[in-house]
Amino acid sequence: MANKNGNIYGLTILSPIKQDAAAPVSPSLELRKYLHELCAHERSPFARIRDVHMARLVVMDDVVFEGSPSHEEHLRYKYLVFEANFDGDLEPFLRKMLDAAREEVGQIWRHCEGFPGTADPDKFIEYMKKCQLETTFYFVDVNDKTVPQTLKALQTQSAVAAFIQKHQGATGGGLREAFRQFSKELAAAKTPHPASVRGREFTGQLV
Amino acid sequence: MSYLDPTDIQGFALRGYNFPVARFLFLRFPDAKRGREFLSWTLGKITHGGHWPKDEKQCIRKPAVTHNIAFTYAGLAALGVPPASLQGFPVEFIQGMRARHKILGDIGKNAPEHWEPLWQGQPVHTWLATYAQEQQALADTQAAIEAHGAEIIGSQDAAKLVIDGARSEKEHFGFTDGFGNPDYLGMERHTQPGQGKIAPGNGWAPLATGELLLGYADEAGEWPVAPLPHLLANNGTFLVYRKLHQNVASFRAYMKERGRLYPGGEEKLLAKFVGRWPDGTPLELSPEREDPAIVKDDNRNVDFTYGKDLEGTRCPLSAHIRRTNPRDAFGFEGRLVNRRASVSRVRILGVPLNCSDRFCRSDPTSRDRQNLYLPQAHCRLRVRYPVRSSQRCK
Repeated sequence: MANKNGNIYGLTILSPIKQDAAAPVSPSLELRKYLHELCAHERSPFARIRDVHMARLVVMDDVVFEGSPSHEEHLRYKYLVFEANFDGDLEPFLRKMLDAAREEVGQIWRHCEGFPGTADPDKFIEYMKKCQLETTFYFVDVNDKTVPQTLKALQTQSAVAAFIQKHQGATGGGLREAFRQFSKELAAAKTPHPASVRGREFTGQLV
Repeated sequence: MSYLDPTDIQGFALRGYNFPVARFLFLRFPDAKRGREFLSWTLGKITHGGHWPKDEKQCIRKPAVTHNIAFTYAGLAALGVPPASLQGFPVEFIQGMRARHKILGDIGKNAPEHWEPLWQGQPVHTWLATYAQEQQALADTQAAIEAHGAEIIGSQDAAKLVIDGARSEKEHFGFTDGFGNPDYLGMERHTQPGQGKIAPGNGWAPLATGELLLGYADEAGEWPVAPLPHLLANNGTFLVYRKLHQNVASFRAYMKERGRLYPGGEEKLLAKFVGRWPDGTPLELSPEREDPAIVKDDNRNVDFTYGKDLEGTRCPLSAHIRRTNPRDAFGFEGRLVNRRASVSRVRILGVPLNCSDRFCRSDPTSRDRQNLYLPQAHCRLRVRYPVRSSQRCK
């Protein structure tokens, strides 16, 4: 089952974008504009779902011809590509996605052929499954750790780096006491909010 | 060929504009911030290549006014386009026409030091073209631009020739214009026999989209040089704006003098110079006389080749239309010339002028001062313009 790697699900969706010759602005341009203005990181709609490692939305205009001897081929439609790596299984994730970001999901996929809307979760899930491709590659930083475990690890990495930087040259009992206090605070710190901690950021702040 | 999005392509590149009046404005941005503000204001006003609606009689309802825009290299730099993107443009665009004037044949009295004052000072940043049904729309556009922060450093009005009070399809030498409008793959247009390229075997096929638009394969199966990121270039093109001086009075005097010596007379000599009779009839299809039935028939008026007239007995080798598009004259089913097809999408316009016969012989201002404004779009400046210029200078 290539869509899963341990506990992590790799989702790849390709939805054909509508073609409307009479539209004053084509659906693909409207969609591109909406995606461009969509918030990222902590304010991303996907950050509202605590199971998401990464999510990416891309408008794919065509496939690239890389030159002879490959055969030149083209797509009949432009496609919306949605990729996400998350903890757990597909259906619960899609339901959570709909609950957490119904407005954004509707605004994005309304430009795609066959999209049934967001009112009926079962129809939405059925549509997404129809558009699904098998995932065989995962985001490079995704291992078999859950999102909370990953966030905690990133928090620890950042905090330890900041501790080391702060205590350069310190020795003996003072350092030991400081580290003991630091360990206690780190253990008590809340798991950071998704997307609030990115790798190797030396903020030194415990959330 | 994937689906071509006409709403992401400027209208003048995709459609054959045919408007009676135009104004070309040349702008500079005071600084990057105000330049970007101006651009934001302009974006919603640019005419794209999408459908023009039809009325109840199924006739296309042309807009009253169109707006299109192009930037110089200096203009893009002034707007703050990052150096990494600027460096991706082809050298012909980066250098501009002034630096390349010798290659282009702009020498002697055509050299840059004789160009109009607009081109002698600080570089132009933007070209903004307004085509309209009525003159008032041009003034309205200019007033709106002046109110939105861009400095207008030059302007040029242009119009169709008016003959006997009616707007004409003729250019200033007296020939009917508007036949050359190539077909490109992916465009929503019925392929007109004679446009595009010669198809293997028989018939005609559209040219590769990459001959007109960036981001697509061209006739060589290559992607034209374009900057990154791709979205900066895709569906764009390079626009060449040339203002040409027509020696109309000298041309008329020469034709009159030589026409007396030519067996077919002045009118036939004119046709031999151009390759079409003044009404547009191609010599290759009707070498002895004008034929209005051919002119009116879009399935015939550009559907011809030179393969059976290699010595130019019907249409001379030096005729204007044969030099600009030799079709199959060089053999290889025309493949040698497919990349140099004429890409003027808009009708030729000149200085506004009234006259009272079709050769403007009665024009009271008849003199060597009729100017043609030629905005042309093409993806490979290096392929097209040095060649065309060297042909012109021979």
